[in-house]
Amino acid sequence: MKLIKRHWKPGEADDWTREDWITIIISSIAYILLTIGIGLSLLLQTRGFIILGAGILLTILMHWIIDPKLKSISTDYEARQKEYLIELEKTTRWEDLNG
Amino acid sequence: MVEFQVLDWLWVGLFVLIMVVSGVLFYRLGKRSESDFFLAGRGLPWWLPASSVYATHTATDTPMWVTGIIYRYGFAGIWYTFFSAWCAISAFVSTRIFRRSLAYTQAEWNTLRFGGLGAEMLRGWISGWQVFMNMFILGWVGIAMGKICQYLFGWEPWLGLIIFSSICAIYVLAAGYWGVIMADFQQGVVAFAVILIVSFWGIMAAGGPSGIVTKLGAMGETWRINPFAFTGWFSGDFPFAWFFTMMVIALLGGFGMGTSIDWYPEAQRIQSARTVRDASYSIWWGTALVLIRNSVWAIAIIAFFVLFPGIQNAADYELGWFRLGFDFLPVGMVGFFFAAIIAIHISTISTHLNLGAMYFTRDLYLHYFKPKASEKELVWIGRLATFVLLLGSFFYGLMMEEITSWLIFALWLMAAGIWLPNILQVVWWRFNAWGYLSSWIANLGFSWLVVWILPHFGIIPAMPDYQQFWLLMLLGALVYIPITFMTKPENMDHLVKYYVMSRPVGWWGPVRREADQRGLLKKVIEIGEGEIK
Repeated sequence: MKLIKRHWKPGEADDWTREDWITIIISSIAYILLTIGIGLSLLLQTRGFIILGAGILLTILMHWIIDPKLKSISTDYEARQKEYLIELEKTTRWEDLNG
Repeated sequence: MVEFQVLDWLWVGLFVLIMVVSGVLFYRLGKRSESDFFLAGRGLPWWLPASSVYATHTATDTPMWVTGIIYRYGFAGIWYTFFSAWCAISAFVSTRIFRRSLAYTQAEWNTLRFGGLGAEMLRGWISGWQVFMNMFILGWVGIAMGKICQYLFGWEPWLGLIIFSSICAIYVLAAGYWGVIMADFQQGVVAFAVILIVSFWGIMAAGGPSGIVTKLGAMGETWRINPFAFTGWFSGDFPFAWFFTMMVIALLGGFGMGTSIDWYPEAQRIQSARTVRDASYSIWWGTALVLIRNSVWAIAIIAFFVLFPGIQNAADYELGWFRLGFDFLPVGMVGFFFAAIIAIHISTISTHLNLGAMYFTRDLYLHYFKPKASEKELVWIGRLATFVLLLGSFFYGLMMEEITSWLIFALWLMAAGIWLPNILQVVWWRFNAWGYLSSWIANLGFSWLVVWILPHFGIIPAMPDYQQFWLLMLLGALVYIPITFMTKPENMDHLVKYYVMSRPVGWWGPVRREADQRGLLKKVIEIGEGEIK
């Protein structure tokens, strides 16, 4: 079994999986590294360039992990969106109660 | 006061014209329907709402605020601005859940997540609060522009407030969210470019990167470039414990909805994205730009410190970044800089005009007053609400000096005691409308007690804000957790409907099993695999 799943069947991607948890950890670290890395790089600090480089690599890795899953969720969900929108309007306009 | 030449005024006139025209051009799209006027028809690629996230959160008062904390705490002050990082987790958790709910607003989402009277009370409360909050933010940001114009031209503050908010209202009234998003894109590009230019100019004026580091060394101030220069673990006014609390609030807050005041404009951008994937990337990249911008600003402010060390009065050093632009840019570029300040200003104003109008139109007018309203009528109500918000913002802006401390307290109420309930409503099926409502009410009482009343009478010591956060969270939980268990869970049919549509994260076991037993989850998979035709 692969550590990171990159091919998703519709419906399968709706569940919360390891890929989601890895993504949010990487995403948080990437934000911290980018914030510090940009500042220190502007001061031409060597550690700043290293931190910034690590932040950029993590950002790329994050997209590599989560993008196939997001594409699958989107394709599957958008097919049902019209039906859900009709339901939403009924709720807001009280049509369930008033007919 | 700053002297403007003909070329400077030319830049200003040209930019204002482009900004207004780029918004008004989308008049025909904006008037098509309620969905167009408030969500641009839910069809935007990720980079448009991302640029709007960035542009909205770059306001006229933002550089003053960032300058104040960096001048005082050095680069470590960057963590004060890190509250935006709730999007690190939200982009892949609560953004996905909210986008799938399709709710126009957070108030509408409450009626999808909860049911019955409690949900309706929440919708009424949240929407009323948001109409007020947007008017307040418009006044706050508007008067900041008034003060900048006073500094630059010697105008009375009300003049800058009214002129630029009114210019912005032209395209928001005409094209609604279409106008907001299209103008935000070009305003975001202009603002980002000018922030880079002014900051680099300031850095070079201070002697360049190496010169700044050398001069800080000579001044005995090298700690200013250390991002982790805290005053101790728990001691001083900037301890590690504060940093830890900020990391918890900022990052874990992404599991919830409404854990940051910025969630509400972001929610509109999430729903305007054409897919779940676009929504996620718009929030992640828009916030990444905000964090990068803060970092660039921080180094420019360190450059300002090298140029002007030892300023004691906060009101003087808070204008540091503006001074880098107005004092050091060459003639002709000053007007370009002011045009960018206008862009920064009206991108925030436009968002809050449209957002406040959406809460009024969708949640109050349509849901409670006239459920049968036509699309055309809703667009006109949206315009009327926009206009009323504009007038209200003038009123708030002009009395802002008197009420600021009260309203900052009100914002604190939003952040502290209901931070955890804002997460629980997303991740825990058993948390119900009564539990959530009681958390708001309990927080109102406890905040007064912990922040003002009890320290005033010496019953508890005055605590730093990070300690108040943990105490308020604990006290609130002592109220809303028992109330949640003493009241019935939400109706299972309602929860199953919400679960199948939104697929929330967390402790949803009983609801998931019920949905599975009803064949609702299996059906989704089977349709996807093509087994059911």
